[in-house]
Amino acid sequence: MDIVIVGSGPSAAAVCLALQDNPDITLTVLDLGGELEADRVASRSGLASSDPTGWDPVQVAHLSTPPKPEAPGAIPRKQIYGSNFPFADMGQLQGVAAKGSANDLVVSGAYGGFSNTWGAQVMPYSTGTFRTWPISRDDLEPHYRAILRHIPFSGEADDLEEAFPLFGTPSHLPTVSERTRRVLSRYEKNRIGARRHGVTAGHARLALRGSDCRLCGLCMTGCPYELIYSASQTFDELRRSGRVRYHSGVRVHRVEETSDGSSIVHATSATGGGAVSFTADRVFLCAGAIGTTRIVAGSLGITDTTITLEESAQFMMPFLSLRPVKHVTQDGEFTLNQFNLFINFDSDGKDASLVHCYPYNDIMMASLPSIATAGPLEAVTKLGLRHVTVGLGYLPSWASPQPTLRLGGRPNEGELPSITVATKDNDATAPMLKNVISRLRRAGRSLDLYPIPGQTKLSGAAKSYHYGGSFPHHASPSDQFSSDLFGRVAGLRNVHLVDASVFPTVPATTFTLTIMANAHRIASALAAGSLS
Amino acid sequence: MSAERVAVTGATGYLGSLFASAFQNDGHNVVALTRSKPTDQTMTWRRFELGETPDAALFEGVDVLVHSAWDLGNSSASDAWQRNVVGSRRLINAAHVAGVKKVIFISSMSAYTGTTQTYGLMKLAVERTALDLHDVVVRPGLVYGDDAGGMAGTLRKIAGLPVWPRFGHAKLFLAHADDVASALVRITDDYDRFASHVIGLANPERVDLSTILTSVSSDGRTKTSLPVPSTLVMTGLRVVEKARVPLPFRSDSLLGLIKATDVLPGQDVLSAAGITFRGLPR
Repeated sequence: MDIVIVGSGPSAAAVCLALQDNPDITLTVLDLGGELEADRVASRSGLASSDPTGWDPVQVAHLSTPPKPEAPGAIPRKQIYGSNFPFADMGQLQGVAAKGSANDLVVSGAYGGFSNTWGAQVMPYSTGTFRTWPISRDDLEPHYRAILRHIPFSGEADDLEEAFPLFGTPSHLPTVSERTRRVLSRYEKNRIGARRHGVTAGHARLALRGSDCRLCGLCMTGCPYELIYSASQTFDELRRSGRVRYHSGVRVHRVEETSDGSSIVHATSATGGGAVSFTADRVFLCAGAIGTTRIVAGSLGITDTTITLEESAQFMMPFLSLRPVKHVTQDGEFTLNQFNLFINFDSDGKDASLVHCYPYNDIMMASLPSIATAGPLEAVTKLGLRHVTVGLGYLPSWASPQPTLRLGGRPNEGELPSITVATKDNDATAPMLKNVISRLRRAGRSLDLYPIPGQTKLSGAAKSYHYGGSFPHHASPSDQFSSDLFGRVAGLRNVHLVDASVFPTVPATTFTLTIMANAHRIASALAAGSLS
Repeated sequence: MSAERVAVTGATGYLGSLFASAFQNDGHNVVALTRSKPTDQTMTWRRFELGETPDAALFEGVDVLVHSAWDLGNSSASDAWQRNVVGSRRLINAAHVAGVKKVIFISSMSAYTGTTQTYGLMKLAVERTALDLHDVVVRPGLVYGDDAGGMAGTLRKIAGLPVWPRFGHAKLFLAHADDVASALVRITDDYDRFASHVIGLANPERVDLSTILTSVSSDGRTKTSLPVPSTLVMTGLRVVEKARVPLPFRSDSLLGLIKATDVLPGQDVLSAAGITFRGLPR
């Protein structure tokens, strides 16, 4: 069976992992394949070949330039190794526009997709999340486990297991910061006080080779040792072993199903612009929720329509602690998310928010106005930062503004349908955010961690990168904008959508592991011959 | 129903012993999982202490686990959590690994979303684990009967006071001990119907404190009641507890009395199975 996979992000990696051991299946990956610039690869290799104590400061600066926020107080767009290649336009952003504060960099053209620059958090969804899904967590559990066996996994057993079982045996996290130790140790003593307000605290769970961490502090700008998982690592292995045929520089715009049951994937060469096509028995669309939506719209001739997505909106929440930490430095620390605050409004983790908390890193300093970080105020700022923790929180999609995609008219052959990203307000957003802040404020004493009043800021539409739901799974799909349990939409019986485009909802909890598990589930069903 | 081997943790406690007797009377073989050997020689005994890592042999030949043990000792909140919550999870997980087909966790009416009671929050945390494993969770109401223990026993003592306390509009769900025990046996027999559910075991009509005290008092007469400022009493009890002075009534229990749930879960499932609970005799 010939399988074509469109994209090289986490869902594409999961499909390949599910199918790689089946000798009757050939795997062809079509990808735009943007990669880190050669000079930065060289600098990264230079650093990775030695211990941080011997690093050349010029190379370090080359790889770790902190990103600047678009506006004061806004969350800066993450760069990786000093590059913005995951967001660069490889042709996939042509025809994409955004209104107001909405995000227009919504599809990655990078090898590995947005997993080059993600937060690396890997927890399953809570059981409550699946109350409105046509599949259950039990259906996904074996696939969560399979994915966590394949990718690096670090974490700890703690109270977060209650809603988010480990589903594997993680390595220990690297040594956490003084703030993380303090908060979690206070939680251990005062957990009832925190839980009275629905707040549970626990360690981060990360797709990270924690045992190899050298505590160089550069996690947020790119680990020189490449210890943070990117889907490109899975593809590197699959390509080395010859298990996949990988075509870079290919932009897919349409899939056509023929009367003999095969599919033709129409694409253009991103470099020359010439048309290319690939024939397959099955196609897996893994281009990210919006990328996949455009390909499906192009395939089915959907035009002049508005599609409403589900997004788990992101907010930035700075916290203040009464007791300061001793030092404000990222040297000797790992700087990814270190602990999480789970704010639960029900019994099974559906109506909930999750805040990922980060210790100090240089991006925080770089995000402040220059007057506060240089000259006489620098010392005062550093003193203040000893009390500060930054949280990146999420609301569930049912309490978040909804991104909308306005599809334009019929595209020319070889082009993707044009889209305009905008946002639709949700009356539930402000009350839920207020409730989350209030719960955290009341739990503050139990953790010595208080949200700073008036400083919580909600991001614009599609800026969380936790969006999907354009063709949600449905037990009995009844319209054009729903998919069956295996990600197939009406009119495309051998094409499987396996990224977040098929998510019925997007809860506030970590996103990518469930994308991978669900893609793995669908591909495993194909491998097992359970798909007609 | 054929005889099954039913392991009961806390089989020498008030509820545990009720359950053990009910299963024995129904023809099942009961294994008491307790710290010390029970005086009732008709039960098999296997040593178990909540909080310890369960031995694989604990579940040898066991078909059903009824987990009713709970340690209300005066340890720190952190220790109590480790022993009760983490210990219960270990036990339940071990039962599943050992192939025990039916697991019933005895929770509490204090375990509801929004509870502020320490006991309720702990029970609620274990419920999540049990439900994710598709076990049955039961929340008995205030259990009364001839030999009432726990909260009902305390209320019987209060009923003996010359004047009764009145806490706002406190109302509780009540269940007769015989009904609770018989319901648990029937739930075990009809396990699949109840799996993954939280079942409140009580009469669906909530009863106010004065009526309860009247019914448990020795002479069946209602006494004068005085409103009690619950916040003041709570603070007083907490201060005394901080000083590690042993009390017959804990502040956390008082919280359970004055902030009781008004939701009785799982009634549709109970009705479908024809299980009912008697009301207080008028």
